[in-house]
This record gives sequence, structure tokens and C-alpha cells, in this order.
Amino acid sequence: MNPEVGEVITSALPLAPILTPLGLGLLLLLPLRRGWRVGLALASALLTLIFALLLMNATLGGVLVSELGGWKAPFGIVMAADRLGSFMSALAALCGVFTVWLMAAQPDPVRERHHSFALTSFLFAGVQLSFLTGDLFNLFVAFEVMLVASYALAVLGSTREQLREGFRYIVMNLSASALLVVACGLAYGTLGTLNFAHLAQRSAALGPNTTVTAVGVLLLIVFAAKGALFPLGFWLPGTYPAVPHATGAFFAAVLTKVGLYALIRVFTTVFGQDPQLPDTLLLVLGAVTMLYGALGALSQREWRRILSFTVVGSVGYLAFGLGLDSPDALRGSLAYLAVSVVVTLAMFLIAAVAERASGMRLVRARGFIEFLPLLAACFLLCALTVAGLPPSAGFVAKYALIRAGLEGGTVLAGIATASALISSFITLYALLRVWSSFFWGRHPQGEPVRRVRWPERLPAYLASALVVALAVFAGPLLGYARATADELGSNGYYILGVMGEGPLNLPARPKGDDVQEPEDGP
Amino acid sequence: METLFAVLIGLLVAAGVFLLLSRTIIRVVLGLAFIAYGVNLAILTVAGLRQESPPLLTLEGPYVDPLPQALVLTAIVIGFGTTALLLTVALRAYQVAGHDDVAAFGDNLARDPDAPDGQHADPEHLSPDMPEAEDADETDIQMAELERLRRITR
Repeated sequence: MNPEVGEVITSALPLAPILTPLGLGLLLLLPLRRGWRVGLALASALLTLIFALLLMNATLGGVLVSELGGWKAPFGIVMAADRLGSFMSALAALCGVFTVWLMAAQPDPVRERHHSFALTSFLFAGVQLSFLTGDLFNLFVAFEVMLVASYALAVLGSTREQLREGFRYIVMNLSASALLVVACGLAYGTLGTLNFAHLAQRSAALGPNTTVTAVGVLLLIVFAAKGALFPLGFWLPGTYPAVPHATGAFFAAVLTKVGLYALIRVFTTVFGQDPQLPDTLLLVLGAVTMLYGALGALSQREWRRILSFTVVGSVGYLAFGLGLDSPDALRGSLAYLAVSVVVTLAMFLIAAVAERASGMRLVRARGFIEFLPLLAACFLLCALTVAGLPPSAGFVAKYALIRAGLEGGTVLAGIATASALISSFITLYALLRVWSSFFWGRHPQGEPVRRVRWPERLPAYLASALVVALAVFAGPLLGYARATADELGSNGYYILGVMGEGPLNLPARPKGDDVQEPEDGP
Repeated sequence: METLFAVLIGLLVAAGVFLLLSRTIIRVVLGLAFIAYGVNLAILTVAGLRQESPPLLTLEGPYVDPLPQALVLTAIVIGFGTTALLLTVALRAYQVAGHDDVAAFGDNLARDPDAPDGQHADPEHLSPDMPEAEDADETDIQMAELERLRRITR
């Protein structure tokens, strides 16, 4: 291939997963037949997945940067894809394919007339943009693109429950976004830049600085609110069960993980020099969040409310791993991140089938193992994965995390590890209780059993197969996580990839008469 | 100048938080708008507030950093969009709940999971989730209740 063409492709690749759902989402706004819409949405999700996988393959060799408008890194906005970003992008795109499939399999004329397909596509674009952007303010924009689409999807349909939960969700996230803008302003005021790599360089050159720490803690609060860490996560268990099944699955699997991704990005790549305060905060919040998620799951009686609380718990484990601040813990967190995304997706797809089959949102219908034996097996497998018991991928990832916690040495790390173990057991109990009250036993006479068509059931089975695949290929997964953690361990790799080799050439300070417009204009 | 701005931002955000903590939906929306204004002013302050220093190179220097102004512009546009969306949601919520108070939504986690939850904002949005579960008589009763609440709030 012509080397110039290759260069163009490499520099355009980080943009491809963002622009594909955006462009096709705009097309979805046209008044099309349902078949066309489904086809377009599915094509958009699949193309995004293909581009994300290509990107993931390309980032094995180094950081891919695409400079928008041809402006070099600190002066213009760049899209930068390293291993972490492209990995998250691929995971999100995978969840997107399942989401669109389930949306296609569950026709919903009212919501589709109000463009639920297009909104979902915009949601994908926002998520991809937040994983691939290399600029703090652009991250805010990405969050807004993603959240505005999710606000609309959360209240689309206007049932009373959706409006109640959606309003809470919107207000919570808008307040967090305001704080993010303040953090951007403070970062620019102190360090004079917003590019991640340049921020990292400048903050390292500045040394420990109170304002930079304040920016870090502000960002921690913002991303904790988006990722539903303990005191800021009360909106989550109400919001996700209120939206339709397909959208809820994507929200649960990906949206909280965007906040976690941003936490990892900011506290490994950008602000690494004064880790004491953020790490302590993350450890404490993570430990409390795990317990809160586990106990919350135990207290609920509805399918997706229970699962939403397990999502909160998984966020706690990730914060715990990040707060330990060691390469081993980071490796465990990254592996757990992948497992958690896939298993949450599988759980919510299973819940979708179960709710449709029993016709209610409660889990008290008994004896469904008779009608849906394969689903019962899938749920049991996912429950073991969420709780982290052996032959599942969850065990491998949680084992890495717990070992890193025990090696952490401090009292706080010990307490957090104990909390992780206890909450794992509580989660296991909560999920097994779901299994025994829904699948086990004898089905009561007279209670309806609805037939769920196979296009609705198949995503649940396929996602469970992915969970199995993660367990089988746990070695390569941990290897990839190790490589990613190494890459994140010293931010020099990212900085070099984005800013290039040479010294930064600042243009000469302009004088007013240099660019004076000619007096006699046209 | 910066001190004045700091006080002003503080006042705006304080007013915003005060409104945000109230139970009336429209006050919550206004509170978020106030917070957004305060935040926008905060970014503007970052560039330094100097008189007679243009952000454009075609004029005589010294210059002020133009980037925060671009950021403010972006933040304003995004804030405009989200406020519009939030107002729409607030209007829908008012139509559904019957009055402008978040208490009308009821508590979420303590509610009875079997209670009917299918009141709708307008006829266009008739129950997308469980169309067959909808009972005509029940809807009529709910609509009557809605009318009654509306009359009271008027």
C-alpha cells in the first residue's frame, strides 16, 4: 500500500468509531420504514464494532492520534487512542450490537416513532467520543453528547416512573457536569492547557500543587457521580429499571463504566504526582460502594433493581482496584472491567427474557427452569461470575484484585479487601436467591407463562457465551490487561505518542501590526 | 475585578444550590440554570479580566487568552440545550403528576412494586410497555384524578 494512504488511514481510524454512529444516527432521523431503520441501526453498530476492533489491533503498536483540523497536539483538539481507550471502545461497541439487536427484536412503535434508534446511535457516538478523546474539555462535550442522548432515552415514553427517575437522573448529572466545567476552568487556569498529555507534562513539571490536587478531587467527584460511587450513586438503581430492556442493558453495561474509564485516565495518565488524597478517597468510597451494592441487591425484589445494585457493587470493586494504586491492582481492575461489562450485559438480557416470560418485574414466579432451562443455566453462570466464584472469569479478575489488596499492606487496603470479600458473598447470596425464587421449584398453576420468541432469547444466550469465552480466554485477557497496565504505569508512553518527539515549538509572540488588516479593504 | 467576579459567582452558585434543594420542579430547573451561569463566569475569569485587551490578533495588543471565551461559548450552547430538554421533561412531569412538586412522584425504592404505574403524559404516549395490561376504566379514574389535581393547583 502507498505509505501516504496508510498514514491517512491510521490518522483517521480513531475518528471512525465516533463518526460512524453519528452519521448513521443522522440518517436514522429520516422518515424510514421500520425495516430500514433496524438495518441502518444494526449496520451502524456492527461497523462501529469493526472499526473499534481494527483500532484495538492498531493500538498494539502505539498510540494512534488524529489531529482535528491538522493542528498539532497541544494547540488543537486531538483524538488519541491507546490500549485502554480502544479496549473500552471495543467493549462499548460490542454492547451496542446487542442493544440494537434487542431493540429490533422487541418492537416498540411509540418509542420508535420518537426516534429511539437515532437516539441510541447518538448515545453510542457520545460513548465512543469519551473513550477516544485526548482533551479534558472535549471529554466534557463527549459526556454531554452521551448524557443528552441518555436523558432523552430515559424519559422517552413518558411513563410516570420514567419521568420520576429520569428527572432525578438528569438533575444529578447536570450538577456533576457543572462541576466538570469548573474543573476544566481550574485546570486551564493553573496549567494553561486542556490536552491530557500536555496536562500531564505541565503538572509533572509544576510538582505537588494544591490547586492541581483540587482539580483532581473535583474530577474525582464528577466521575464518581457519573459512575455511581457510593454517596453519589442513589440515582442508579431507580433509573435503569425504568427504561426499556434494550436501552437499560446498554446503560447498565456501559454508562457507569465511562465514569470509571475517565477516573482511570485522569488518575493514571494525567495527575499521577500527588496520589495520596485521591487514592485514599477511592479506597474508602470503593469499599463502601461494594457493601452498599451488595446489601441493596439483597433488599430488592424486582429483577432489574437487583441487577442495578450489582452494577453499583461492580463500580465499587473497580474504584477499590484503582485506589490501591499498584500495577497488579490496575491489571486486576482492567480485567474486572471487561468481565463486568460483559456479564452486566448478559444479566440484563437474561432479565429482559425473564420479565417477558413471567409478565412481571418481580422475581417471585417459580419453576421457570421447566420452561427456560438454558436461561436458568446462563443465569447461574452469570451469578457465579458476578460473585467471583471459580470456574468463571469473575474469579480470575477478582482474585487478581484481592491479591493486590492483600499486598497493599496498609490498614485501609486490608479493610477494603475484607469488604470486597464480604460483599462478594452477600452478592452471591442475593443472586442465588433470585435463581431459587424464579427458576427453582414448581410453577404455580394458573400463573401465565408467555412465550418469548427466539430473536429475543438469543442475545441473552450469546452474551452468556461471551461470559464463558472470557473464562476460557482468561489468560489472554489478563495478558492484555497486564500490557495495558504497563502502558498506563508510566504516562511517558501516552505523552510521547500524543505530543511527538521534538521539543514544543511555540510560535513567536504576535505583535498587533504583524497581522494588521489592510486599511483599504474591499 | 476578579474579587467582584468571585463574589458574583459565589452568589450565583449559592442561589442555584438553594433553588436546587427545593421541591418545586421549576425551581430545580432554575437552580441548575443559575449554577450554569456561575460556572460560565468562572471559566471567563480564568483568562484574566483585563480591560482593553482584545482576544483577536487583528487589533492592537496586549491580548487576552481567547480560549476560555471559546470554552464559555461551548458551555453556553450545551447549557442551553440541556436546559431546554430539562424544561420539556419538567413540563411532561407536570402533566403526568398533576402538580409541580417532586413529592407528587412518590418515593421510588419504598413503593409497592405491584402498584399500577401507567399514567401518561398525553394520549400520544399511551403505555408503550404494557398495552394489554391497561384497563380502560382505570385510565378514566386516573384522568379524573388528574383533572381534580389540576383544578386544585389552579
